[in-house]
Amino acid sequence: MNARLSGPGAWFLYAFAAATMVFILAPLLVVISVSVSDTYFVTFPPEGFTLKWYAQVLQDDDFIRAFKLSTLLALATTMASLFFGVPAAFALVRTRFAGQSFLKSLLLSPLIFPALVTGLALLQLLSRFGSADARINLLIGHVVVTAPYVVRTVVSSLMLIDQNLEDAARTLGASRLVTFWRITLPQIAPGVAAGGLFAFMVSFDNFPISMWLANSEYSPVPLVLMRALVNVFDPSIPAMSTLVIIFALIGVLILEKVFGLRRAVAM
Amino acid sequence: MVAEPKADLSVLPAGASRLPRPSVWLLAVPMLAFLAIFFFYPALNLLFYSFQTQSDKGIIGPPMTLAHYARLFAVDLYVKVFWNTLQIAIITSLVAIVLAYPVAIVMVRSTATINRIMTLIVIAPLIVSVVVRSYGWQLILANAPSGLLNWILMSLRITDTPVEILYTKTAVVIGSLHVFFPMMVLPLASALGKIDPNLEDAARTLGAPWWSVFRRVTFPLSMPGLVAGITLVFSLTAGSFVTPVILGGTSSLMLGNLIEQQIFVVYDWPFGATIACVLVVVVLAINALSMQILEGKRMQRIAG
Repeated sequence: MNARLSGPGAWFLYAFAAATMVFILAPLLVVISVSVSDTYFVTFPPEGFTLKWYAQVLQDDDFIRAFKLSTLLALATTMASLFFGVPAAFALVRTRFAGQSFLKSLLLSPLIFPALVTGLALLQLLSRFGSADARINLLIGHVVVTAPYVVRTVVSSLMLIDQNLEDAARTLGASRLVTFWRITLPQIAPGVAAGGLFAFMVSFDNFPISMWLANSEYSPVPLVLMRALVNVFDPSIPAMSTLVIIFALIGVLILEKVFGLRRAVAM
Repeated sequence: MVAEPKADLSVLPAGASRLPRPSVWLLAVPMLAFLAIFFFYPALNLLFYSFQTQSDKGIIGPPMTLAHYARLFAVDLYVKVFWNTLQIAIITSLVAIVLAYPVAIVMVRSTATINRIMTLIVIAPLIVSVVVRSYGWQLILANAPSGLLNWILMSLRITDTPVEILYTKTAVVIGSLHVFFPMMVLPLASALGKIDPNLEDAARTLGAPWWSVFRRVTFPLSMPGLVAGITLVFSLTAGSFVTPVILGGTSSLMLGNLIEQQIFVVYDWPFGATIACVLVVVVLAINALSMQILEGKRMQRIAG
């Protein structure tokens, strides 16, 4: 990291970057400030201060139900993504075979495919074979788009670790399982954690898959929010949105703590 | 895990794969099978659907036809939505490039603290739901005097009548830009971080003005990150659904909205599948193109 910004261009760069930061934060700050405003309709400047919209949200059965569903769904999605993703990452790093790079692009392909279309295709499949439980359908759909994230983060963790340690453990008589558990896993733990957290956040915020697979009984938070926004006017929307923002911030801070943000996202 | 003869451990070749375990690739089988059933098969099936005919009773089957594709490019409304989508995705990518360079440069060339704070700011919104972020822009851009932007403009007497941005393509571009901006900054920052600062210093010492250093040194060397960023922003914007609904209104629909209408309102599965396939082709074409460019660059470097 070199502090090499100087000269006539530097002030311009800093000003421009600062303005862009304002652009990024503005809509979030606006939502938060409006969420404690004491008026029924949104106005600027916000008037008064109240937490009544939060009280209302916390008593809103639809929102609570959606929040529970989204949380459980994201947890299940994380588990399943790790279950599929971690072994697949090993296959990509720990051995060499013909068609390996092809396999890698196959496993990561859901990331470049428009998620909207992934969800639609899945809806068609599931409705044809009659899987009735929306929760299972949502889980399947989310895992399709989150497992590749786990593959990506674990692959880059695996590339960094020193295989000599594993060889040493094996030579000293540790079984393959013990070696994996005591030597390999602790080394790739940050990658696994980052992948899992990514899976959780992507699932929790997912819209383009959920929009096809949810029903009126089981709707995750983003869908409930969208419905509140588009169909009926609900003065507690800013408060709901702020709760989503807070939840996301917690996620980001954990990611930063566990892994360092730049590394987590660069992978 | 299957016990294997320990013999293969005593012979450790010096190369990369020191544990010759041909069975390791089997670990990819569960995920591959999962994706085969729930991703590849349904995606191919959707492609198949786009050539099928739907009867009055809603039964989908033969004869095979290209009629849906013909219809997509014959009806004015659909053609307009198609161009809207391309236009919004292209403009968003271009504006993202302009905004991302200064941010990425400051990120990699500044102090560690600034880098950390900026990374946090750039990434934090990425994890906030698209719905919430679009809603934030709706509040800012609202056409009435009660919108934040109009309130500011009118308070400062820059304008007397509220400007109308919400429910236009501009609003969709602003929203998409905000939603997908990190996808441009992050690859760009990582490409810029790999550039040896000495190269820029050398150019500067030799008397090149800063814009010329940027144009002749920084910009060409940042190409891999730039291409990756453009591809991501374009692909994600083209596949938007939420932003155009909340910010675009009826005049700025995109392909995603058209698909949803066909499936949930009109119940025309083959036509919905057709639009989906067109969207996929557009996105895959951009990805293939960028791969080509990056490969070409690498070949050039090897040759040079």
